[in-house]
Amino acid sequence: MSEDRLWKFRRPEWLNSIWARNAGVYAAGAFFSLAFYTLLDSAVWSKSALNGSDLHVTFVDWLPFIFSSLGMLIINSVEKARLSADSFSYSGSGVAWKARVVLFLGFAALAGGMAGGVTVFVLKFVVPGVPFPAMGMGVENVVANALVGLSSVVLWVSQNMEDEYSYNLSL
Amino acid sequence: MPTAGLKTIIALSFVLAVGFLLVILSCALWHSYYPLLVVGTYVLAPVPNWVCSHCSNPDDFVESSGAAVLDLGRFCTGFLVVMGIALPVLLAHSSLISIPAMVMSVIGGLLIYGTIISFAMFFQEEQEF
Repeated sequence: MSEDRLWKFRRPEWLNSIWARNAGVYAAGAFFSLAFYTLLDSAVWSKSALNGSDLHVTFVDWLPFIFSSLGMLIINSVEKARLSADSFSYSGSGVAWKARVVLFLGFAALAGGMAGGVTVFVLKFVVPGVPFPAMGMGVENVVANALVGLSSVVLWVSQNMEDEYSYNLSL
Repeated sequence: MPTAGLKTIIALSFVLAVGFLLVILSCALWHSYYPLLVVGTYVLAPVPNWVCSHCSNPDDFVESSGAAVLDLGRFCTGFLVVMGIALPVLLAHSSLISIPAMVMSVIGGLLIYGTIISFAMFFQEEQEF
């Protein structure tokens, strides 16, 4: 077990507990909820009486969020154990290859969503020089996409924790 | 886990009533009934966990298909719990409800959800046998 380790520092013991794993999954849901409601907040604010400008949140502002959510869904639907083909003899018929391709598409969608959020922020808000209360809609767009990314990272890490845990259990 | 007696039930129902009072007051004092959504959110919050725990087989530890369903339930629960806080903040930011109404509905919603969770914790052990 210790011969296989790559890193100098070992993971703390509490990180392997089932409690930490469940807390990670709950936190991922919480981050995703924050992302969704940040974006919904910008949409509601744009239609409310507080928005004095002509700028409104349209479908274009939602598109990066849709892409990053799709990427998150793809990434976390892939079975992680199929990735390491060299340790599993039964995943011979190209399963690991397929998993890598699908995972690549997922990460591309996630990164594309983040880049799209920044693009919308720059093209729609920074370049025309929008003053600040309306500028908040663009900032919220970037924050929402970053939170989706954070959520998928947390979910990924806690799912990998689970693998380690069940491995320890099966020994 | 302490034994759940009559006092626990009385205390929990009292807290639940205070939570509902705060939420309904936050609606009625300002004549905008958006904060009632918080109650629905927190009532719905334990449902994904409950459904998914019935869907999965808890015996298969190594095969992670059962754990994936459980994770989906936990993810949805985390989503709904934060939604209960984020929704009043959203409404207050767009001045659809006022700031005191937001504070009251958030506190009331947390009380309601805390009641549901502690009720489930107190009476979980008896259901298993």
